[in-house]
Amino acid sequence: MTAAILGTMIVLLLLGFPMMVPLIIGSMVGFVGLFGGLGQLETLVQQVIAGIQPASLIAVPMFIFAAEIMTRGQSAARLIDLVMAFLGHIKGGLAISTAGACTMFGAVSGSTQATVVAVGGPLRPRLLKAGYSDKFTLALIINASDIAFLIPPSIGMIIYGVVSGTSISELFLAGIGPGLLILLLFSIYSYIYAVRHNVPTEPAATWPERFRAMRRAIWPLGFPVIIIGGIYGGIFSPTEAAAACVLYAIVLEMIVFREVSPRQLYATAKSTGLITAVVFILVGAGAAFSYVISFAQIPQAILGGIGIDGMGPYGVLFTISIAFFIGCMFVDPIVVILILVPIFAPVVQATGLDPVLVGTIVTLQVAIGSATPPFGCDIFTAIAVFRRPYWEVIRGTPPFIAILLSVSVALIYFPQIALFLRDISISR
Amino acid sequence: MTNDPDPSRDATAIPGPSPVDAAVLAAAEAVQAQDDIDDGLYESGLPGPLGLLDKGIARLEAFALAFGVLAMAFNTTSNVVGRFVFGQSLYFSEEINQALIVLITFAGISYAARHGRHIRMSAITDALPFRERKAMMVITSGVTAVLLLALSWYALTYVMTQAGRGRVLPALRIPQWWILVWVPAGLFLTGLQYALTALKNLTDPEIWLSTATRDGYDLPHKDKAP
Amino acid sequence: DTWRYAFEEALDEVQGVYAQKFKEEVEANSDHEVQLFPFGTLGESDNIMEQAQSGILQFVNQSPGFTGALIPEAQVFFVPYLLPEDQDQLVSFFRNSETITSIFPELYAEQGLELLKMYPEGEVMLTTKTPVESPADLSDVKVRVMTNPLLVESYRAFGATPTPLPWGETYGGLQTGIIDGQENPAFFIESTRMYEVTDHITRLGHNNFTTALMANQEFFEGLDEADQQVIQAAADAAFDHIIDYQQGLTETALEAIMEAKPAMTVTTLTEEQRAPFRETAGDVEATFLEIGGPRAQEVLDQMKADLEAAAAS
Ligand code: NA
Ligand code: NA
Repeated sequence: MTAAILGTMIVLLLLGFPMMVPLIIGSMVGFVGLFGGLGQLETLVQQVIAGIQPASLIAVPMFIFAAEIMTRGQSAARLIDLVMAFLGHIKGGLAISTAGACTMFGAVSGSTQATVVAVGGPLRPRLLKAGYSDKFTLALIINASDIAFLIPPSIGMIIYGVVSGTSISELFLAGIGPGLLILLLFSIYSYIYAVRHNVPTEPAATWPERFRAMRRAIWPLGFPVIIIGGIYGGIFSPTEAAAACVLYAIVLEMIVFREVSPRQLYATAKSTGLITAVVFILVGAGAAFSYVISFAQIPQAILGGIGIDGMGPYGVLFTISIAFFIGCMFVDPIVVILILVPIFAPVVQATGLDPVLVGTIVTLQVAIGSATPPFGCDIFTAIAVFRRPYWEVIRGTPPFIAILLSVSVALIYFPQIALFLRDISISR
Repeated sequence: MTNDPDPSRDATAIPGPSPVDAAVLAAAEAVQAQDDIDDGLYESGLPGPLGLLDKGIARLEAFALAFGVLAMAFNTTSNVVGRFVFGQSLYFSEEINQALIVLITFAGISYAARHGRHIRMSAITDALPFRERKAMMVITSGVTAVLLLALSWYALTYVMTQAGRGRVLPALRIPQWWILVWVPAGLFLTGLQYALTALKNLTDPEIWLSTATRDGYDLPHKDKAP
Repeated sequence: DTWRYAFEEALDEVQGVYAQKFKEEVEANSDHEVQLFPFGTLGESDNIMEQAQSGILQFVNQSPGFTGALIPEAQVFFVPYLLPEDQDQLVSFFRNSETITSIFPELYAEQGLELLKMYPEGEVMLTTKTPVESPADLSDVKVRVMTNPLLVESYRAFGATPTPLPWGETYGGLQTGIIDGQENPAFFIESTRMYEVTDHITRLGHNNFTTALMANQEFFEGLDEADQQVIQAAADAAFDHIIDYQQGLTETALEAIMEAKPAMTVTTLTEEQRAPFRETAGDVEATFLEIGGPRAQEVLDQMKADLEAAAAS
């Protein structure tokens, strides 16, 4: 039954249906199967609506809006000019800066989708202009956004901590190591890519040029100050930080730079709404589909079938990694955590695994899964924002996913990558 | 992808390492800056007075999208200002955002359908010959229309059920169904747009992604019927 | 048959323990099976409630505070200093209260729900970054509350700045200082690690978190008498179980917190210290009468009569 539904969905997807169709049909077939008819489709509608209502999702349209205003105006260009004045002469400098920007942005955002939009929007034209292929650029953006999920704050870790009863501050500490490791590996890959494809470097900027770039970027540098200062200074939550960025972007581009007219602001708001709708209907349809999965208790059935109880710690960790990775290919990461964490909890306890390590692995897996076909949510965010065809968006991802998966394996065999920061601060 | 006919995407001015990248780059910048939809140019798929009504609805959807996003930004920042400056939270702020996100999403899916913006995986259909590609467009639009129209019916009964139960929003204390009415309306209008798209593909020689958009914004060489 | 039962907490929290006992009893005394769906797996609290109303779920556990959006009278459980602080009186109240055994079942029935049991989850405690002994200590302290007018009014009356914040942002908000405190039962403070980001636990004695098990009414009335008996007996057995379980729960949770964070302080306010907080209850009662629906006055009066009866027993 499950296999038939998944198979149908993938066929519909390949036939070029709007992506909400396979998700809705998959859920409908599930509802008819579970309840023996169409009588309970009201609950399907309820789940679609519930899927788009979590308060944390508000950050997504707000960051899209801020990023669109910044790009339409001058802020984004001036910030990137600044980075390029310092890194432009290094091979792969702009790509490395993109990964770095995702990491920085991750320190203020808990969501990979917001990162795709806020960092990818302004940087993608620059990467293309610098000579990177679109395939590489898109893959870099959607995969580097995973780092945002590992660098605190992270919505995934908060949910994992609450569901499994694990210390959230320890989880936050444990995410930093793997996050920086991924940044390092992506930077190395970017360097190799730039060398192999002979991406031209810019001539090194002179110090007067660098100072000029800094002066021009002073106002836009207010964005990181507002976000980081505002969140860690206790003024607003990550979601509210997104709205504060919108306000600052409006003030900057409309009053200080006089670059954006009220008419353009209206147009920007409209296009933000359009992108939001296109992504959120899929989030909602995905929620309805995951309802079917969890109502039918499919994960429990599958796990019972593979005999997880007899596996050693490595077997359990690999099984967990694979389960979360596959789950997030189809379903929203938060829902996957809610459904799967309690199912694995007894095994984790019986095997004596460190729940903080498991939480870090889970968070990494859901971040990777969210950038993985067919239904990873970062992919459809990228399609909506960048308006590139599906295939174009996913074509360059294999090397990045390979790097991410090797970090997952490394994390299983060398847990200290995640745990050393926590162990240092606990023994303090 | 080298002969993009759209002048706004003229690639000649950009010094890039290859013409292919230059075209994509121009499109990327266009997406970022100049790709606004002009509602004044929008053509409805319906004839006569129905077409006028449809154009009016399209305008309303566009307004709902812009209003929803601006109101969300205003509401969220007001809450911060209230809490931080005046020590007073807007305790209904979260519910307003929930109402707005429903409005944006369901006004937006119809607007997106009008302009062919829904996400789809076109890799395989793009590779098909013209006739087959057109046939697929009729089938996918038609099936999508039937599905969404059916779903809009269940959404309507859901909203009526909620109205009957009398559930209110805890902070605003208004009936919850007030913020849900966009759901059946949005699904119905989206379904209608897909039905009109199927019709347009049956009656017009070219291939249409929506009543107002030809297929293949990223595939210029396929823009014209052979 | 397979009966489905959803609740708002994890399997090892109070509602989960209640649900497991209920399942065990039903399965031991009938040939039906009960499938449990913990927090989040079928949606938020409101979602599972609607699913029980439409018959997808046979059983749902929802706290009356949330039910307030549907049955405004249920918000009475947010009025502070209404429930007794003494455990025996509390248990006697939940067993015998006229409000719970006759008024609320009628109100729930209007929504197509068979109210099977209301039970306490534990004393609500305030956790803050600065110590609290009097309303003055709460001045300018931002306390996170659920989005409900009565909770907002309660903390305003206590002298604090009530700050509605989504639960998902509460931990981070305490960490960065957007908010300075929150309230919950001890087991929940422990399981959600709220003690990591606050320093003081204060027992104001103002409330006990109440929750309720209900069934879809059409389903329940369609059962034969024997099955209805099995369900009632299971709900009663789970109630007894949860009362026993709770005896030590608050203490165990507080010990676990102290072990994890020895610097944490736990202060039980004296009767004199509670007096100024208790005095504010009148304001909240007034708000309840205003927004508590058509039978608010009746519910409040009967609650008070029941409480007197419980105190006398
Ligand atoms: Na983050
Ligand atoms: Na990602």
